[in-house]
Formats: sequence, structure tokens, C-alpha cells
Amino acid sequence: MALATQRSTGGSRRPPTRGNGPGRRRIASLIGMLLAGMLLSGCGLSIPSDPNGTMDRVEGAVLRAGASVEEGLVEKAADGGAFGPLADLVEAFAEEHGAEVEWTFGSEESLVEHLEQHRIDLAVGGMTADTPWSQMAGTTRGYDEVPGAEGREIVMLVPLGENELVYELESFLDRELS
Amino acid sequence: MRNVGRTDLPAEQRTALTKAIRWEWATIAYTLFTISLVALVLGNSQAMKTAWIEDMLSLIPQVSFLVALLFIRRKPTRSFPFGKHRAMTIGHLVAGVALLAVGGNLAVEAAIGLISGEHPTIGTLQLFGQTIWLGWLMVGVMLLIVIGPLIYGPAKLRLAPKLHNKLLFADADMARADWHTNAASIVGVLGVGIGLWWLDGAAAIFISIGIVLDGVRNTRFAIRDLMDERARTHDDKRTHPLVNAVLAEMLRQPWVRDAGVRMRDQGQVFHTEIFFVPTRRRPPRTETLHAAAERIAALDWKLQDISLIPVGRLPDEATRLE
Repeated sequence: MALATQRSTGGSRRPPTRGNGPGRRRIASLIGMLLAGMLLSGCGLSIPSDPNGTMDRVEGAVLRAGASVEEGLVEKAADGGAFGPLADLVEAFAEEHGAEVEWTFGSEESLVEHLEQHRIDLAVGGMTADTPWSQMAGTTRGYDEVPGAEGREIVMLVPLGENELVYELESFLDRELS
Repeated sequence: MRNVGRTDLPAEQRTALTKAIRWEWATIAYTLFTISLVALVLGNSQAMKTAWIEDMLSLIPQVSFLVALLFIRRKPTRSFPFGKHRAMTIGHLVAGVALLAVGGNLAVEAAIGLISGEHPTIGTLQLFGQTIWLGWLMVGVMLLIVIGPLIYGPAKLRLAPKLHNKLLFADADMARADWHTNAASIVGVLGVGIGLWWLDGAAAIFISIGIVLDGVRNTRFAIRDLMDERARTHDDKRTHPLVNAVLAEMLRQPWVRDAGVRMRDQGQVFHTEIFFVPTRRRPPRTETLHAAAERIAALDWKLQDISLIPVGRLPDEATRLE
């Protein structure tokens, strides 16, 4: 790093500023930790990945979806499943990953609670990009092309920080809805 | 008692000042550009948010510098007999306090997020029909904007000592360390990418601690200057060599038996009181004193305001030749 052109004549020295040692050492240790983390997480490193491994669990198995009933978007079927444009999207997404969908119905608050406890993998309903639940749950981008959304920017909720799931879900919705 | 003052700057300082002003305007323009660029890819990363706010904070010293310049050019008046040079130090203080307050706030916010185990959710963005993870864009933006400070930091650092401007020095010094912030936020985002959710918060804490330390340092130096600490070098590392230079010049006069100095930094220029014990019982004539003051003022452009005070005994707090 270029230092100032100082005519330093020694004298009393104050502790070095942020431009010197300690900062660099800390960065180096951060990078070291990061590399160690990469090694620990093995070769199957995908970026972004899920801290709680949601996507790995869903792949070829079961997608646990929660729904908050909203007429014209997602409704409860007689057989305990769900129907409606949002339900169709979830089913199609699961199918892409060779998974069966297991539906849970409840209020938005219950669904968010389920997401926080990792009892479900995603939640759908009338939630939009302005949802107040975005503090407790991760949200996808808003999609106004969902049939029956009437111009609202519909989002799906996922557990906080499950970034691979968000990535897969948004990639799917981008393909499906554009 | 005589006052010798110069309100004009010598050629070297004039060009340095013109360059400094140009760099500051360029920096402000660049920073506004980076602030809007980062805003586009902010997402839910605490590290990115912290870096973003640090970017905004970095505008304060630059704006303060330009505003203070409007004041320090004014000649002293009856109501402001020492001129308005202190504006520069006040700008320094404002910048320091802002860094301290906001940095502390960000550190607490990051710590709370880390303790409560908030997993940052970083989604995607659709660009040209491609779904791209926002993290890659964050890393890209951070790599892109690291370039600026590496250019203007050292440039301002070269100008600061010429102008003896502590605000400019602080600004340059922070710019020089700015890449730490970019590196830390990249580490944080990539950490989130590989599933280490806590790295984002850790990076945010690292960045905010840097902001707080900058704040502490600048606030301390600015306050010391405002409390009329003996003049120090532009980087506040040691007592300014002019203290000794003035004393040496004074002691060379045949009519001086002993001399002591009180020199304070008014921001860019110094206010100097020279106490001397005359050799004979009668103090020298005003012409002699005036010539001596002129000679001392000629030592350095910063010596704008010099008072010669004949005394029977030097005051204890006056600095003697070391």
C-alpha cells in the first residue's frame, strides 16, 4: 500500500492507524476462516447454499408447503391437497425436483411460525412484496403475473436464509411466469 | 506586541489547494455513484448495508472540507479577530462524531442480528432473462468500487501535509483503509453463499468497528485542537517542528535572553505567542520587533498570526527550546 510521502524523523509514535497491521491481520483471518469453511463444507459446494439444507432434503423426496387460503389463489381441496394458481406453481416446482408436495393449511402467522421452526419449507397465500412477515421469513421477489393476483406482487415465503431454495424457487418462477 | 499576518497562500500551497478541491469534488461525485450502485444490490446483507452506510459517512469529511474553505478564506474582522480558520477543525469534529455515532449504532445492530441468529436471505435478480444470485452482483460491485479510494486516497494523502489539513488527512486516511470494508463485505456475502450465515454479521461487525475507531480517532484529535493543544503535525503524531524552529529563530536575536512559545493550531494555520525575556532592561524598539516577527513569519506559510510579548519571567506553560 502506498504510504504518504512523510519526512518522518522518528520521534514518539502513536499506535498505528487502520491502514496498518491489525486490520489486515483480521481480514486475513476472516479469509482463512472462509477457506476453512469451504473445505469443511466439502466438495459439493454450491453457491448459494442452504444453512439448513432445505433443498437437499426436498430433492427427490417431499416438499412441505404451507398455504393460507385466499380465494382464486390457493384453496383447500376435498382430499386435503390444494388447488388454485399458486398451488399449481408449487406442485410444478416440486415436480421439477422430483418431490411430492405435502400441504399444511393455516393462518399466515401459523405458517410463519412453521417456517421459523423448519416444519414447512415454503408458504403461499395472498402475501405480497409489502408483506410485514419479511422480518421473520425470507421472501421471493414479487410476481404480478400470477393468475388471479389482480396486479398484486405475489411473493412466496421461505425460511430465513435458505438461499439455495430462494434461488431455485425464483429461477423456476422466472421461467414459469415470464 | 505586533501582529504579522498573511492571508494569501504561497504558490505550492495554492496549487495543492486547487488540486485538493478538485479531488474532493471528484470524490463526492464518485461516492454518490457508488452509493447508488450499492443501493441496487443491497439485499438483506448486513455487511453490505454497513458498507453502504460507511460510504455515505465518507461524504461528511469531504463536504465539511469544502464548506470550511468558504470560511477560512475570510480575513479577520473585529468580531472574529482570529479569522475563521477553526471552521476546518469544527468540520473535523462533526465528521468524527458522525462516524462514532453511526458506527456504534451499526455495530450494535450487527451484534443483535448475530446473537439472535438472523439468517440473511439473499435472493436473486433477473438480468437479461437470466436469474442471477444477488450475492455475485454484490461481490462484483464491491470489487468494482474498491478502485476509486485506492486512487484518490493516496492522492489526497500527498496533499494533506502540504496544506497541513487534518480534515483532508483524515479523509485520505479513511479512503486508504476503505478496501478493508470491501474485502470484509465480500467475505461476508460469500460466507452466506456457502451457507455460513454468521459470516455476514461478523463482517458487518468488523466494518462497523473500523468506523467506530475512525470516529474515536478523529473526534479525539479535533477536540484536542479545539481545546488549543500545542500545535502538532498534520497526522497528530508529534509536536509540530515549527515550535522549535520559531524558538531557535527567536533565540538567535541578540536582544533575547530567553524565549518560550504558545503555538496553537487553528486548522491549517497557527496562532503563535512568543514570550521573551529581553537582555537589557529596556525592551527592543518596535521596528526591531517587527523585523523579527517578519523573519519568523517567513519561516513557514502557516505562521500567520504572531505576537511578541516581552516578559520579566517566562510563563510556565510556554514551550522552551528542546
